[in-house]
Amino acid sequence: MEFLNILQTLCDEYGISGNESAVASRIIEMIEDYVDEYRVDNMGNVIAFKKGAKTPAKKIMIDAHMDEVGMIVTGFASDGRLCFTTVGGVDARVVLGRQVVVGENRIPGVIGTKAVHMQSEEERKTAAPVDKLYIDIGCSTKEEAMALVDPGDEVCFPAGFGTFGNGYLKGKAIDDRFGCAVMVDLIRSELPCDCWFSFSVQEEVGCRGAAGSAYSIAPDYAIALESTTAADLAGVSEPKTVCCLGKGAVVGFMDKGTIYPKELYRLCHEIGREQNIPVQGKTMVAGGNNAGVIHKTAGGIKTIAISAPCRYLHSPFCVVKESDLLAVRDLTRALLAKLAE
Amino acid sequence: MTTLEILRRLCDADGVSGEEGSACEAAAELLRAYTDDVTVDPFGSVIANVYDAGEGAPRLLLDAHIDQIGMIVTHITEEGFIRVAPCGGVDRRLLLAQEVVIHGTRPVPGIVGTKPPHLTSGDEAKKVVDIEDIAIDTGYTKEELLQWVAPGDRVTYVSSFAQLENGRITSRSLDDRAGAASILHTLELLKGKKLPCSLTVVFSSQEETGGMGAATTAFRIHPDAAIAVDVSFALTADADEVKCGKMGEGPMIGSSPILNRGMFDELLDIAKTSGIPWQVEVMGGRTSTNADHISVAAGGVRTALLSVPLRYMHTPVEVIQVSDVDAVGELMAKYILQYEG
Repeated sequence: MEFLNILQTLCDEYGISGNESAVASRIIEMIEDYVDEYRVDNMGNVIAFKKGAKTPAKKIMIDAHMDEVGMIVTGFASDGRLCFTTVGGVDARVVLGRQVVVGENRIPGVIGTKAVHMQSEEERKTAAPVDKLYIDIGCSTKEEAMALVDPGDEVCFPAGFGTFGNGYLKGKAIDDRFGCAVMVDLIRSELPCDCWFSFSVQEEVGCRGAAGSAYSIAPDYAIALESTTAADLAGVSEPKTVCCLGKGAVVGFMDKGTIYPKELYRLCHEIGREQNIPVQGKTMVAGGNNAGVIHKTAGGIKTIAISAPCRYLHSPFCVVKESDLLAVRDLTRALLAKLAE
Repeated sequence: MTTLEILRRLCDADGVSGEEGSACEAAAELLRAYTDDVTVDPFGSVIANVYDAGEGAPRLLLDAHIDQIGMIVTHITEEGFIRVAPCGGVDRRLLLAQEVVIHGTRPVPGIVGTKPPHLTSGDEAKKVVDIEDIAIDTGYTKEELLQWVAPGDRVTYVSSFAQLENGRITSRSLDDRAGAASILHTLELLKGKKLPCSLTVVFSSQEETGGMGAATTAFRIHPDAAIAVDVSFALTADADEVKCGKMGEGPMIGSSPILNRGMFDELLDIAKTSGIPWQVEVMGGRTSTNADHISVAAGGVRTALLSVPLRYMHTPVEVIQVSDVDAVGELMAKYILQYEG
């Protein structure tokens, strides 16, 4: 299975935080014949182990999260509308004017408001507050809607993964199915050393799953694979871009959740130079990821994050560059080999 | 072909104001089932002479606009992002992270870019981005883009046509492909019947930018009477009940000082006596539809207005109920059969 096929399969599956089981099933299908053991823990994390060419003195874990941002049905209005709230950091301005997919039966619905013609000048200039929005699935009464949908049902942006421009990819949930795809791809190949894998739940609602998997795996080293905000957009000055698409894997020294061990930070950049893998730093201390909880689990774990630069994170369309994703994969494999030396 | 299939075919075709080509072709093809006399006039409107009742017979015109709202390319930045202006009444609150297609010498897919949280602190996150400040990301450099894209190219939303509950559907461009579909339903009902008047159908261009298509074709045809078919506001929870029609409750028969009172009375009578559901939409003056232009074309045209109730107008997720489209078509067919001029 090609890396891009793995990525597409995972991105087009639905799974907001707390409802990752469909994604977990897909991952298990893809890895079960290639791992030495795997289990699903009490939180829903998929924890897998695979033997490699050697057994390192230090235990190594790689983590990526399975959940995606989205919405959740909170109730019904008398005229058949579904009320919802957001799950994870969804930008309120990307919710309006879209089709969404509701619940396990993947019922189509839309999020709209009164027409632009009927809005006051002030309304036209102000982002529609999410708590005033609702989902229309075509029902006319509360009873009709309740027969089709339950409170707590997940609401996702529609699957729409695809190639894009010159070597780019677009779609929902690339954050962080891309990290999952890199782990699946590693598992389906020969590894330089033994490795534990944590496909974790609930990152988008506070990095909760990885706390559990890091505790039970109890590694010496951890590598968090993530997608990180790239602001290489029109008119943004270089220091504010954070990182750029096309410049390779992102390894920063610090973000909002973690101060990374200098040895691992340096090692990643060194590997990049030695092995011709493009690696870039971050121009701002911004963002955060599962490393933030992993590194302080139990007595502390030496943790580094390797990220793919990603535009429009937490929107229905993340945009990434394929070459950057491959750089993350190659750097992760090379780092495994170095850590096992 | 069912009304649903016709709607899908028409909505999937592209035709932003002033560049209605592909939508015109789809519409012309559907009209050819009823007459060989189908032409596209110099303004881009499709004209079909459907029935000739002989010399001296009155001529009735049925009009729906074939153009859709969209955007138009104004500039390509050094970084390769595309700047645009609106083409018709765009709701800019919903633009961010929308999937679009730029119709250059080949279609180029794009995503409307959004700034990440570290660049949109505080109040900016609540503000709607001015349309001249949005940037479409195509994954291409400026040099690459210049091969296919130029200022003046039209931009359309990507949306997937989907069926909702209660025979409702969602798509972009139901404004006014729903009107076109109801006219095609009229033609289907009249097929093979002897009519008391000659009948011409116009699917007109450039309604969303000012109604020029209808103004010019109505002048050219100079009919005795006309029915303009458009969409109007169906009630949503956040709108004013007295300003909206209701979805599923049939044609909104227009009443306004600029519309012909006699035709209004006749249409209302027919609806009442034949059991077609109906509702009245009263406007205090101009109607913001093609009726405004047709009624004053050449020496003046007696004009009526029928509207299909529609939610979320001018968004990629407009919603209508198919039974309303059929009911509009049925009302027009009955009106034509008893037409006395």
